[in-house]
Amino acid sequence: MSEEFQDHQIRDVIKINYKYTMGGQSKFFIELKNNKRLLGTKCTKCGKTWMPPRINCSDCYEPADWVELKQTGIIEVSTIVWYTTSAFIKAIPYGVGYIKLDGAETALLQGIFSENLVPSKIKKGKRVKAVFNKQRDGKMTDFFFVPEDEYDNWISKPEYEGGV
Amino acid sequence: MKKVGIVGIGITPFRARYLDKTYFELAYDATKLALEDANKNGAEITHDNLESTVYGIYNELFERQFMPDIFINSYIGMNNKPGTRIASGGATGGYTVRMAYAEVASGLSDLCLCLGVEKCNDCYDEQTGVTTPEVLNAIAYSADMTYEYPMGMMAASSYVSMVNAHYEEFGNPTEEQMAYVSVKNHGNAILNPKAQSPMKVSVEDVLNSRIICFPFKMLDCCLYSEASAALILANEDKVKELGVENPIWITGVSAANTDCFIGNREDMGRLYSNIYAAKAAYKMAGLDYTNIKSQIDLAELHDAFSGQEVISYEELGFVPFGEGGPWIEKTFENPGEGPWLNGELPCCPSGGLIGCGHAVGATGIMSTGEAALQLREEAGKHQVPITKGRAISHSIGGPGAAYAAIIVMTNEEGLKKP
Repeated sequence: MSEEFQDHQIRDVIKINYKYTMGGQSKFFIELKNNKRLLGTKCTKCGKTWMPPRINCSDCYEPADWVELKQTGIIEVSTIVWYTTSAFIKAIPYGVGYIKLDGAETALLQGIFSENLVPSKIKKGKRVKAVFNKQRDGKMTDFFFVPEDEYDNWISKPEYEGGV
Repeated sequence: MKKVGIVGIGITPFRARYLDKTYFELAYDATKLALEDANKNGAEITHDNLESTVYGIYNELFERQFMPDIFINSYIGMNNKPGTRIASGGATGGYTVRMAYAEVASGLSDLCLCLGVEKCNDCYDEQTGVTTPEVLNAIAYSADMTYEYPMGMMAASSYVSMVNAHYEEFGNPTEEQMAYVSVKNHGNAILNPKAQSPMKVSVEDVLNSRIICFPFKMLDCCLYSEASAALILANEDKVKELGVENPIWITGVSAANTDCFIGNREDMGRLYSNIYAAKAAYKMAGLDYTNIKSQIDLAELHDAFSGQEVISYEELGFVPFGEGGPWIEKTFENPGEGPWLNGELPCCPSGGLIGCGHAVGATGIMSTGEAALQLREEAGKHQVPITKGRAISHSIGGPGAAYAAIIVMTNEEGLKKP
Protein backbone atom coordinates (compact mmCIF):
# COMPACT_ATOMS: atom_id res chain seq x y z
CA MET A 1 0.00 0.00 0.00
CA SER A 2 1.50 3.28 -1.02
CA GLU A 3 -1.08 5.75 0.35
CA GLU A 4 -0.24 7.57 3.56
CA PHE A 5 -1.57 5.89 6.72
CA GLN A 6 -4.12 7.79 8.80
CA ASP A 7 -4.94 6.34 12.19
CA HIS A 8 -8.39 6.01 13.71
CA GLN A 9 -9.18 5.22 17.35
CA ILE A 10 -12.55 4.64 19.02
CA ARG A 11 -13.48 5.32 22.65
CA ASP A 12 -15.00 2.38 24.47
CA VAL A 13 -15.46 1.02 27.99
CA ILE A 14 -16.09 -2.45 29.42
CA LYS A 15 -18.24 -2.38 32.54
CA ILE A 16 -19.76 -5.35 34.38
CA ASN A 17 -21.79 -5.07 37.57
CA TYR A 18 -21.57 -7.77 40.24
CA LYS A 19 -23.35 -9.01 43.32
CA TYR A 20 -20.49 -11.22 44.29
CA THR A 21 -20.78 -14.25 46.60
CA MET A 22 -18.25 -14.51 49.42
CA GLY A 23 -19.15 -18.17 49.96
CA GLY A 24 -17.29 -19.83 52.81
CA GLN A 25 -15.47 -16.60 53.55
CA SER A 26 -18.74 -14.75 54.31
CA LYS A 27 -18.34 -14.93 58.10
CA PHE A 28 -15.08 -12.97 57.95
CA PHE A 29 -16.79 -10.03 56.29
CA ILE A 30 -19.96 -10.19 58.42
CA GLU A 31 -17.94 -10.15 61.65
CA LEU A 32 -15.76 -7.34 60.30
CA LYS A 33 -18.80 -5.26 59.44
CA ASN A 34 -21.00 -5.95 62.47
CA ASN A 35 -18.54 -6.56 65.31
CA LYS A 36 -15.13 -5.22 64.19
CA ARG A 37 -13.68 -8.69 64.80
CA LEU A 38 -10.88 -10.10 62.65
CA LEU A 39 -11.44 -13.81 62.13
CA GLY A 40 -8.90 -16.24 60.78
CA THR A 41 -9.26 -19.97 60.42
CA LYS A 42 -7.35 -22.83 62.04
CA CYS A 43 -6.91 -26.23 60.42
CA THR A 44 -8.55 -28.99 62.47
CA LYS A 45 -5.66 -31.34 61.61
CA CYS A 46 -2.38 -29.43 61.34
CA GLY A 47 -3.40 -26.38 63.37
CA LYS A 48 -2.17 -23.85 60.79
CA THR A 49 -3.85 -20.46 61.14
CA TRP A 50 -4.91 -18.90 57.85
CA MET A 51 -5.30 -15.14 57.31
CA PRO A 52 -6.88 -14.30 54.84
CA PRO A 53 -9.15 -17.08 56.08
CA ARG A 54 -9.97 -20.24 54.13
CA ILE A 55 -12.45 -22.76 55.48
CA ASN A 56 -10.50 -25.65 54.00
CA CYS A 57 -6.83 -26.24 54.77
CA SER A 58 -4.95 -26.27 51.48
CA ASP A 59 -2.09 -28.17 53.10
CA CYS A 60 -4.01 -31.14 54.55
CA TYR A 61 -7.42 -31.10 52.85
CA GLU A 62 -9.21 -30.97 56.20
CA PRO A 63 -11.72 -28.36 57.43
CA ALA A 64 -10.46 -25.22 59.18
CA ASP A 65 -12.41 -23.68 62.09
CA TRP A 66 -12.98 -19.96 62.66
CA VAL A 67 -10.75 -18.35 65.30
CA GLU A 68 -10.64 -14.75 66.41
CA LEU A 69 -7.24 -13.09 65.93
CA LYS A 70 -5.73 -10.21 67.80
CA GLN A 71 -5.97 -6.78 66.18
CA THR A 72 -2.30 -6.10 66.70
CA GLY A 73 0.53 -7.45 64.64
CA ILE A 74 3.89 -6.86 63.05
CA ILE A 75 4.83 -5.51 59.61
CA GLU A 76 6.59 -8.23 57.62
CA VAL A 77 7.26 -6.08 54.55
CA SER A 78 5.90 -2.80 53.22
CA THR A 79 6.17 -0.14 50.54
CA ILE A 80 4.89 3.33 49.78
CA VAL A 81 3.18 3.72 46.41
CA TRP A 82 3.77 6.98 44.50
CA TYR A 83 2.44 6.05 41.06
CA THR A 84 -0.36 3.62 40.50
CA THR A 85 -3.46 2.46 38.69
CA SER A 86 -6.25 4.72 37.49
CA ALA A 87 -8.44 3.40 40.32
CA PHE A 88 -6.04 4.54 43.05
CA ILE A 89 -4.07 7.41 41.54
CA LYS A 90 -6.00 10.00 43.56
CA ALA A 91 -4.91 8.25 46.78
CA ILE A 92 -1.13 8.54 46.31
CA PRO A 93 1.06 8.35 48.27
CA TYR A 94 -0.24 5.37 50.23
CA GLY A 95 1.40 2.69 52.33
CA VAL A 96 0.68 -1.01 51.98
CA GLY A 97 2.27 -3.98 53.64
CA TYR A 98 1.96 -7.59 54.68
CA ILE A 99 1.02 -7.77 58.34
CA LYS A 100 1.24 -10.86 60.49
CA LEU A 101 -1.40 -10.54 63.18
CA ASP A 102 -0.39 -11.83 66.60
CA GLY A 103 -1.28 -15.52 66.59
CA ALA A 104 -1.52 -15.89 62.79
CA GLU A 105 0.95 -17.83 60.65
CA THR A 106 0.28 -16.10 57.35
CA ALA A 107 0.39 -12.37 56.63
CA LEU A 108 -2.42 -10.19 55.36
CA LEU A 109 -2.01 -7.38 52.84
CA GLN A 110 -3.46 -4.15 54.20
CA GLY A 111 -3.18 -0.42 53.99
CA ILE A 112 -0.80 1.10 56.53
CA PHE A 113 -1.71 4.69 57.38
CA SER A 114 0.62 7.04 59.18
CA GLU A 115 0.67 10.73 60.02
CA ASN A 116 4.28 10.68 58.85
CA LEU A 117 4.32 8.29 55.88
CA VAL A 118 8.03 7.56 55.37
CA PRO A 119 9.66 4.16 54.80
CA SER A 120 11.28 4.06 58.26
CA LYS A 121 7.91 4.56 59.96
CA ILE A 122 6.33 1.46 58.39
CA LYS A 123 9.33 -0.82 58.00
CA LYS A 124 9.64 -4.50 58.83
CA GLY A 125 9.28 -5.26 62.52
CA LYS A 126 7.15 -2.21 63.38
CA ARG A 127 4.10 -3.03 65.49
CA VAL A 128 0.73 -1.95 64.13
CA LYS A 129 -2.89 -1.99 65.27
CA ALA A 130 -6.16 -2.14 63.35
CA VAL A 131 -8.37 0.96 63.03
CA PHE A 132 -11.94 0.63 61.69
CA ASN A 133 -14.18 2.90 59.67
CA LYS A 134 -17.33 3.85 61.60
CA GLN A 135 -19.27 3.31 58.37
CA ARG A 136 -18.50 -0.28 57.33
CA ASP A 137 -19.67 -2.25 54.28
CA GLY A 138 -18.20 -5.70 54.99
CA LYS A 139 -15.20 -5.16 52.75
CA MET A 140 -11.43 -5.13 53.24
CA THR A 141 -11.51 -1.33 53.01
CA ASP A 142 -13.47 -1.25 56.31
CA PHE A 143 -10.19 -1.24 58.25
CA PHE A 144 -6.50 -0.44 58.01
CA PHE A 145 -3.44 -0.52 60.22
CA VAL A 146 -1.55 2.28 61.93
CA PRO A 147 1.68 2.29 63.94
CA GLU A 148 0.80 1.41 67.55
CA ASP A 149 2.03 4.78 68.81
CA GLU A 150 -0.41 6.60 66.48
CA TYR A 151 -3.41 4.44 67.37
CA ASP A 152 -5.01 6.82 69.90
CA ASN A 153 -4.78 9.73 67.46
CA TRP A 154 -6.41 7.79 64.64
CA ILE A 155 -9.33 6.47 66.68
CA SER A 156 -10.05 10.00 67.95
CA LYS A 157 -10.87 11.12 64.39
CA PRO A 158 -14.64 11.34 63.77
CA GLU A 159 -14.75 8.84 60.89
CA TYR A 160 -12.75 6.08 62.63
CA GLU A 161 -12.95 3.96 65.75
CA GLY A 162 -10.98 1.33 67.61
CA GLY A 163 -11.67 -2.38 67.43
CA VAL A 164 -12.70 -4.77 70.17
CA MET B 1 8.66 -37.70 23.97
CA LYS B 2 9.94 -36.48 20.62
CA LYS B 3 12.89 -34.14 20.30
CA VAL B 4 11.72 -30.57 19.55
CA GLY B 5 13.58 -27.90 17.65
CA ILE B 6 13.00 -24.21 16.93
CA VAL B 7 13.08 -23.80 13.13
CA GLY B 8 11.62 -20.32 12.69
CA ILE B 9 11.81 -17.10 14.72
CA GLY B 10 9.78 -13.95 14.10
CA ILE B 11 9.82 -10.89 16.37
CA THR B 12 8.20 -7.55 15.56
CA PRO B 13 9.75 -4.36 16.95
CA PHE B 14 8.62 -3.62 20.53
CA ARG B 15 6.96 -0.20 20.58
CA ALA B 16 4.94 1.93 22.97
CA ARG B 17 2.12 2.15 20.48
CA TYR B 18 1.20 0.84 17.06
CA LEU B 19 -1.51 3.09 15.67
CA ASP B 20 -1.25 1.30 12.35
CA LYS B 21 -1.77 -2.25 13.63
CA THR B 22 -4.32 -4.17 15.69
CA TYR B 23 -3.27 -7.10 17.90
CA PHE B 24 -4.22 -9.61 15.19
CA GLU B 25 -2.28 -7.65 12.56
CA LEU B 26 0.79 -7.69 14.82
CA ALA B 27 0.34 -11.45 15.28
CA TYR B 28 0.17 -11.85 11.51
CA ASP B 29 3.43 -9.92 11.10
CA ALA B 30 5.31 -12.11 13.62
CA THR B 31 3.94 -15.28 12.00
CA LYS B 32 5.05 -14.10 8.57
CA LEU B 33 8.51 -13.22 9.92
CA ALA B 34 8.83 -16.68 11.52
CA LEU B 35 7.83 -18.40 8.26
CA GLU B 36 10.35 -16.28 6.32
CA ASP B 37 13.04 -17.15 8.85
CA ALA B 38 12.35 -20.89 8.52
CA ASN B 39 12.46 -20.61 4.75
CA LYS B 40 15.69 -18.63 4.86
CA ASN B 41 17.14 -21.57 6.77
CA GLY B 42 16.21 -24.22 4.22
CA ALA B 43 12.52 -24.94 4.72
CA GLU B 44 9.87 -24.30 2.11
CA ILE B 45 6.72 -23.78 4.11
CA THR B 46 3.69 -21.51 4.31
CA HIS B 47 1.09 -21.17 7.04
CA ASP B 48 -0.72 -24.07 5.38
CA ASN B 49 2.03 -26.38 6.64
CA LEU B 50 1.58 -25.32 10.27
CA GLU B 51 -0.58 -27.93 12.01
CA SER B 52 -1.58 -26.09 15.16
CA THR B 53 -1.09 -22.90 17.16
CA VAL B 54 -0.46 -22.24 20.82
CA TYR B 55 -1.32 -18.63 21.62
CA GLY B 56 0.20 -16.58 24.41
CA ILE B 57 -2.08 -13.63 25.22
CA TYR B 58 -2.17 -12.36 28.80
CA ASN B 59 -4.91 -9.82 29.24
CA GLU B 60 -8.35 -9.63 27.67
CA LEU B 61 -8.77 -6.08 28.96
CA PHE B 62 -5.79 -4.92 26.87
CA GLU B 63 -7.19 -6.47 23.73
CA ARG B 64 -10.78 -5.42 24.52
CA GLN B 65 -11.68 -8.93 23.44
CA PHE B 66 -12.21 -11.85 25.75
CA MET B 67 -11.21 -14.62 23.31
CA PRO B 68 -8.59 -12.85 21.22
CA ASP B 69 -6.97 -16.10 20.04
CA ILE B 70 -9.88 -17.11 17.81
CA PHE B 71 -9.76 -13.77 15.97
CA ILE B 72 -6.02 -14.15 15.42
CA ASN B 73 -6.66 -17.72 14.27
CA SER B 74 -8.90 -16.36 11.51
CA TYR B 75 -6.55 -13.53 10.53
CA ILE B 76 -3.43 -15.72 10.22
CA GLY B 77 -5.25 -18.27 8.09
CA MET B 78 -5.27 -21.12 10.59
CA ASN B 79 -8.96 -22.00 10.40
CA ASN B 80 -9.95 -25.63 10.95
CA LYS B 81 -6.82 -26.48 12.93
CA PRO B 82 -6.37 -26.67 16.71
CA GLY B 83 -5.48 -23.50 18.56
CA THR B 84 -4.99 -23.25 22.31
CA ARG B 85 -4.58 -20.10 24.35
CA ILE B 86 -2.27 -19.81 27.33
CA ALA B 87 -2.60 -16.95 29.86
CA SER B 88 -0.19 -17.03 32.79
CA GLY B 89 0.43 -13.40 33.69
CA GLY B 90 3.89 -12.07 32.90
CA ALA B 91 5.03 -15.66 32.39
CA THR B 92 2.54 -16.20 29.55
CA GLY B 93 5.29 -16.28 26.91
CA GLY B 94 7.42 -18.91 28.67
CA TYR B 95 4.37 -20.98 29.49
CA THR B 96 3.27 -20.79 25.84
CA VAL B 97 6.65 -22.10 24.68
CA ARG B 98 6.27 -24.93 27.19
CA MET B 99 2.86 -25.90 25.87
CA ALA B 100 3.92 -25.60 22.22
CA TYR B 101 6.85 -27.85 23.11
CA ALA B 102 4.35 -30.32 24.60
CA GLU B 103 2.22 -30.14 21.43
CA VAL B 104 5.19 -31.28 19.34
CA ALA B 105 6.96 -33.55 21.85
CA SER B 106 3.73 -35.50 22.39
CA GLY B 107 3.29 -36.11 18.69
CA LEU B 108 0.01 -34.18 18.47
CA SER B 109 1.62 -31.88 15.88
CA ASP B 110 4.76 -32.22 13.80
CA LEU B 111 4.94 -28.50 13.07
CA CYS B 112 3.46 -26.02 15.55
CA LEU B 113 3.23 -22.25 15.72
CA CYS B 114 3.97 -20.69 19.11
CA LEU B 115 2.58 -17.17 18.89
CA GLY B 116 2.46 -14.42 21.50
CA VAL B 117 1.01 -10.95 21.17
CA GLU B 118 -0.10 -8.04 23.31
CA LYS B 119 -1.35 -4.55 22.59
CA CYS B 120 -1.79 -2.87 25.96
CA ASN B 121 -1.73 0.83 25.22
CA ASP B 122 -5.23 0.93 23.79
CA CYS B 123 -6.21 1.23 27.45
CA TYR B 124 -6.68 4.93 28.15
CA ASP B 125 -7.18 6.79 31.41
CA GLU B 126 -9.60 9.63 30.73
CA GLN B 127 -8.89 11.38 34.07
CA THR B 128 -5.14 11.82 33.49
CA GLY B 129 -5.25 11.79 29.69
CA VAL B 130 -2.58 9.09 29.37
CA THR B 131 -2.56 5.33 28.94
CA THR B 132 -0.41 4.03 31.81
CA PRO B 133 -2.72 4.27 34.86
CA GLU B 134 -5.44 2.42 32.93
CA VAL B 135 -2.94 -0.20 31.68
CA LEU B 136 -1.87 -0.70 35.31
CA ASN B 137 -5.50 -1.00 36.36
CA ALA B 138 -6.16 -3.64 33.69
CA ILE B 139 -3.18 -5.54 35.11
CA ALA B 140 -4.25 -5.00 38.73
CA TYR B 141 -7.40 -7.05 38.07
CA SER B 142 -5.00 -10.01 38.09
CA ALA B 143 -4.49 -9.48 41.83
CA ASP B 144 -6.80 -11.20 44.29
CA MET B 145 -9.95 -9.12 43.87
CA THR B 146 -11.33 -9.61 47.37
CA TYR B 147 -8.38 -9.07 49.68
CA GLU B 148 -5.59 -7.43 47.67
CA TYR B 149 -6.92 -5.33 44.76
CA PRO B 150 -8.92 -3.08 47.15
CA MET B 151 -5.64 -2.19 48.89
CA GLY B 152 -4.28 -0.58 45.72
CA MET B 153 -2.12 -3.58 44.87
CA MET B 154 -0.44 -3.41 41.47
CA ALA B 155 2.46 -5.03 39.66
CA ALA B 156 5.19 -2.82 41.13
CA SER B 157 3.95 -2.98 44.72
CA SER B 158 3.64 -6.75 44.43
CA TYR B 159 7.21 -7.27 43.14
CA VAL B 160 8.68 -4.65 45.45
CA SER B 161 7.33 -6.55 48.45
CA MET B 162 9.56 -9.50 47.63
CA VAL B 163 12.54 -7.30 46.79
CA ASN B 164 12.16 -5.39 50.08
CA ALA B 165 11.87 -8.64 52.02
CA HIS B 166 15.03 -9.89 50.31
CA TYR B 167 16.79 -6.66 51.24
CA GLU B 168 15.72 -7.02 54.87
CA GLU B 169 17.21 -10.52 54.93
CA PHE B 170 20.45 -10.04 53.01
CA GLY B 171 21.12 -6.28 52.87
CA ASN B 172 20.78 -6.31 49.08
CA PRO B 173 19.85 -5.45 46.42
CA THR B 174 20.63 -1.86 47.35
CA GLU B 175 19.14 0.97 45.31
CA GLU B 176 22.51 1.37 43.57
CA GLN B 177 22.76 -2.34 42.75
CA MET B 178 19.26 -2.25 41.26
CA ALA B 179 20.26 0.82 39.26
CA TYR B 180 23.11 -1.17 37.66
CA VAL B 181 20.51 -3.56 36.18
CA SER B 182 18.79 -0.57 34.60
CA VAL B 183 22.11 0.77 33.27
CA LYS B 184 22.94 -2.66 31.82
CA ASN B 185 19.60 -3.44 30.20
CA HIS B 186 18.87 0.02 28.81
CA GLY B 187 22.46 -0.02 27.49
CA ASN B 188 22.20 -3.46 25.88
CA ALA B 189 19.00 -2.29 24.16
CA ILE B 190 21.01 0.33 22.26
CA LEU B 191 22.42 -2.59 20.24
CA ASN B 192 18.99 -4.13 19.59
CA PRO B 193 17.03 -2.41 16.81
CA LYS B 194 13.77 -4.01 18.01
CA ALA B 195 13.99 -2.53 21.52
CA GLN B 196 11.59 0.14 22.76
CA SER B 197 13.86 1.79 25.38
CA PRO B 198 17.46 1.98 24.18
CA MET B 199 19.15 4.48 26.51
CA LYS B 200 22.53 5.31 27.88
CA VAL B 201 21.74 5.99 31.54
CA SER B 202 23.94 6.32 34.61
CA VAL B 203 23.36 5.00 38.12
CA GLU B 204 22.62 8.60 39.14
CA ASP B 205 20.03 8.93 36.37
CA VAL B 206 18.23 5.87 37.72
CA LEU B 207 18.44 7.00 41.34
CA ASN B 208 17.13 10.45 40.38
CA SER B 209 14.26 9.18 38.27
CA ARG B 210 10.72 9.52 39.56
CA ILE B 211 9.77 7.34 42.54
CA ILE B 212 7.14 4.74 41.63
CA CYS B 213 6.94 2.44 44.60
CA PHE B 214 9.60 2.59 47.29
CA PRO B 215 12.41 1.91 46.46
CA PHE B 216 11.63 1.31 42.75
CA LYS B 217 12.18 4.34 40.53
CA MET B 218 10.87 4.90 37.02
CA LEU B 219 14.07 3.57 35.40
CA ASP B 220 13.94 0.43 37.57
CA CYS B 221 10.69 -0.56 35.86
CA CYS B 222 10.01 -1.97 32.41
CA LEU B 223 7.59 -0.15 30.15
CA TYR B 224 4.55 -1.88 28.74
CA SER B 225 4.83 -2.52 25.01
CA GLU B 226 2.94 -3.55 21.96
CA ALA B 227 4.51 -6.36 19.94
CA SER B 228 4.23 -9.92 18.75
CA ALA B 229 6.70 -12.81 18.68
CA ALA B 230 6.45 -16.21 17.03
CA LEU B 231 8.40 -19.45 17.00
CA ILE B 232 7.89 -22.42 14.71
CA LEU B 233 8.59 -25.70 16.48
CA ALA B 234 9.19 -29.03 14.73
CA ASN B 235 10.05 -32.55 15.82
CA GLU B 236 13.32 -34.15 14.77
CA ASP B 237 11.93 -36.01 11.74
CA LYS B 238 10.20 -32.86 10.56
CA VAL B 239 13.40 -30.82 10.97
CA LYS B 240 15.18 -33.31 8.71
CA GLU B 241 12.31 -33.41 6.22
CA LEU B 242 12.27 -29.61 6.01
CA GLY B 243 16.04 -29.49 5.63
CA VAL B 244 16.44 -26.73 8.23
CA GLU B 245 20.14 -26.17 8.71
CA ASN B 246 20.36 -24.60 12.14
CA PRO B 247 17.64 -25.89 14.47
CA ILE B 248 17.91 -24.85 18.09
CA TRP B 249 16.79 -27.78 20.22
CA ILE B 250 14.67 -27.26 23.29
CA THR B 251 16.14 -29.58 25.89
CA GLY B 252 14.48 -28.38 29.08
CA VAL B 253 11.08 -26.86 29.79
CA SER B 254 9.59 -26.36 33.18
CA ALA B 255 7.22 -24.11 35.03
CA ALA B 256 5.98 -23.72 38.57
CA ASN B 257 3.23 -21.75 40.26
CA THR B 258 4.01 -20.69 43.79
CA ASP B 259 1.45 -19.30 46.26
CA CYS B 260 -0.14 -16.19 44.77
CA PHE B 261 -0.60 -14.78 48.29
CA ILE B 262 2.85 -13.46 49.23
CA GLY B 263 1.72 -13.45 52.87
CA ASN B 264 1.24 -17.24 52.77
CA ARG B 265 4.86 -17.88 51.86
CA GLU B 266 7.35 -19.21 54.32
CA ASP B 267 9.86 -16.61 53.19
CA MET B 268 8.64 -13.45 51.46
CA GLY B 269 12.04 -12.57 50.02
CA ARG B 270 11.94 -15.45 47.54
CA LEU B 271 10.37 -15.99 44.14
CA TYR B 272 9.85 -19.70 44.79
CA SER B 273 8.35 -20.23 41.35
CA ASN B 274 11.78 -19.39 39.89
CA ILE B 275 13.57 -21.94 42.02
CA TYR B 276 11.26 -24.85 41.28
CA ALA B 277 10.99 -24.07 37.56
CA ALA B 278 14.76 -23.64 37.15
CA LYS B 279 15.72 -26.82 38.99
CA ALA B 280 13.25 -28.91 36.98
CA ALA B 281 14.18 -27.40 33.60
CA TYR B 282 17.93 -27.82 34.20
CA LYS B 283 17.40 -31.42 35.33
CA MET B 284 15.39 -32.19 32.20
CA ALA B 285 18.24 -30.73 30.12
CA GLY B 286 20.85 -32.72 32.07
CA LEU B 287 22.37 -29.59 33.60
CA ASP B 288 23.45 -28.93 37.18
CA TYR B 289 21.60 -26.22 39.18
CA THR B 290 24.63 -25.68 41.41
CA ASN B 291 26.94 -25.17 38.43
CA ILE B 292 24.60 -23.69 35.84
CA LYS B 293 26.57 -20.48 35.32
CA SER B 294 29.43 -22.39 33.72
CA GLN B 295 27.13 -24.50 31.53
CA ILE B 296 25.32 -21.80 29.57
CA ASP B 297 26.42 -18.91 27.37
CA LEU B 298 23.64 -16.45 28.20
CA ALA B 299 20.32 -15.97 29.93
CA GLU B 300 17.41 -13.91 28.68
CA LEU B 301 15.81 -13.04 32.00
CA HIS B 302 12.43 -11.56 32.85
CA ASP B 303 13.52 -8.21 34.31
CA ALA B 304 10.12 -6.61 34.83
CA PHE B 305 11.78 -4.72 37.69
CA SER B 306 15.51 -4.27 38.27
CA GLY B 307 15.50 -5.64 41.81
CA GLN B 308 13.66 -8.73 40.70
CA GLU B 309 16.37 -9.48 38.11
CA VAL B 310 18.92 -9.37 40.95
CA ILE B 311 16.95 -11.88 43.04
CA SER B 312 16.52 -14.07 39.96
CA TYR B 313 20.33 -14.42 39.64
CA GLU B 314 20.21 -16.28 42.93
CA GLU B 315 17.10 -18.31 42.30
CA LEU B 316 18.19 -19.49 38.86
CA GLY B 317 21.42 -20.70 40.46
CA PHE B 318 23.90 -18.18 39.01
CA VAL B 319 25.14 -17.05 42.44
CA PRO B 320 24.43 -18.21 46.02
CA PHE B 321 21.50 -16.68 47.91
CA GLY B 322 22.28 -13.20 49.12
CA GLU B 323 25.01 -12.57 46.55
CA GLY B 324 22.92 -11.24 43.66
CA GLY B 325 23.49 -7.57 44.44
CA PRO B 326 27.31 -7.73 44.61
CA TRP B 327 27.36 -9.85 41.41
CA ILE B 328 26.22 -6.91 39.28
CA GLU B 329 27.63 -3.95 41.16
CA LYS B 330 30.54 -2.43 39.27
CA THR B 331 31.52 -5.76 37.69
CA PHE B 332 31.11 -4.06 34.30
CA GLU B 333 34.51 -2.52 35.01
CA ASN B 334 36.02 -6.00 34.85
CA PRO B 335 35.29 -7.94 31.65
CA GLY B 336 34.52 -11.55 32.46
CA GLU B 337 32.63 -10.75 35.65
CA GLY B 338 28.95 -10.39 36.44
CA PRO B 339 25.91 -10.36 34.12
CA TRP B 340 27.12 -7.65 31.69
CA LEU B 341 27.36 -8.12 27.93
CA ASN B 342 31.09 -8.84 28.32
CA GLY B 343 30.59 -10.64 31.63
CA GLU B 344 30.92 -14.22 32.80
CA LEU B 345 27.23 -14.87 32.08
CA PRO B 346 25.53 -12.16 29.99
CA CYS B 347 21.99 -11.64 31.26
CA CYS B 348 19.44 -9.94 28.96
CA PRO B 349 21.82 -9.22 26.07
CA SER B 350 18.71 -8.12 24.12
CA GLY B 351 18.01 -5.47 26.74
CA GLY B 352 15.40 -7.62 28.45
CA LEU B 353 12.11 -6.09 29.47
CA ILE B 354 13.68 -2.91 30.82
CA GLY B 355 15.40 -2.33 27.49
CA CYS B 356 13.02 -3.92 24.98
CA GLY B 357 9.73 -3.31 26.76
CA HIS B 358 7.15 -5.80 28.00
CA ALA B 359 4.53 -6.94 25.50
CA VAL B 360 3.32 -9.48 28.00
CA GLY B 361 2.13 -12.44 25.92
CA ALA B 362 4.92 -11.87 23.41
CA THR B 363 7.71 -11.23 25.91
CA GLY B 364 8.73 -14.77 26.88
CA ILE B 365 8.50 -15.87 23.25
CA MET B 366 10.68 -12.91 22.23
CA SER B 367 13.25 -13.80 24.91
CA THR B 368 13.24 -17.46 23.87
CA GLY B 369 13.62 -16.39 20.23
CA GLU B 370 16.39 -13.97 21.18
CA ALA B 371 18.27 -16.72 23.06
CA ALA B 372 17.86 -19.02 20.03
CA LEU B 373 19.20 -16.31 17.70
CA GLN B 374 22.21 -15.95 20.03
CA LEU B 375 22.86 -19.71 19.79
CA ARG B 376 22.67 -19.44 16.00
CA GLU B 377 25.13 -16.53 16.30
CA GLU B 378 22.66 -14.38 14.40
CA ALA B 379 21.67 -11.97 17.18
CA GLY B 380 23.31 -8.95 15.60
CA LYS B 381 25.21 -6.25 17.46
CA HIS B 382 24.32 -7.68 20.86
CA GLN B 383 25.69 -11.13 19.95
CA VAL B 384 27.63 -12.70 22.83
CA PRO B 385 30.33 -15.40 22.41
CA ILE B 386 28.85 -18.90 22.11
CA THR B 387 31.24 -21.51 23.49
CA LYS B 388 28.98 -23.91 25.34
CA GLY B 389 26.08 -23.87 22.91
CA ARG B 390 23.41 -23.51 25.57
CA ALA B 391 21.11 -20.70 26.71
CA ILE B 392 18.06 -20.20 28.87
CA SER B 393 15.03 -17.95 28.76
CA HIS B 394 13.06 -17.04 31.85
CA SER B 395 9.50 -15.81 32.32
CA ILE B 396 7.83 -14.80 35.53
CA GLY B 397 4.58 -13.06 36.41
CA GLY B 398 1.21 -13.06 38.07
CA PRO B 399 0.22 -11.94 41.56
CA GLY B 400 3.34 -12.06 43.71
CA ALA B 401 5.27 -13.44 40.71
CA ALA B 402 3.43 -16.70 41.26
CA TYR B 403 4.06 -18.07 37.76
CA ALA B 404 7.51 -18.89 36.37
CA ALA B 405 8.73 -20.80 33.33
CA ILE B 406 12.25 -21.68 32.22
CA ILE B 407 13.28 -22.88 28.76
CA VAL B 408 16.70 -24.45 28.09
CA MET B 409 17.98 -24.45 24.50
CA THR B 410 20.95 -26.07 22.77
CA ASN B 411 22.71 -25.65 19.47
CA GLU B 412 24.11 -29.15 19.09
CA GLU B 413 25.49 -28.54 15.64
CA GLY B 414 27.31 -25.51 16.99
CA LEU B 415 28.74 -27.55 19.83
CA LYS B 416 30.27 -29.98 17.37
CA LYS B 417 32.24 -27.20 15.69
CA PRO B 418 35.95 -27.32 16.55
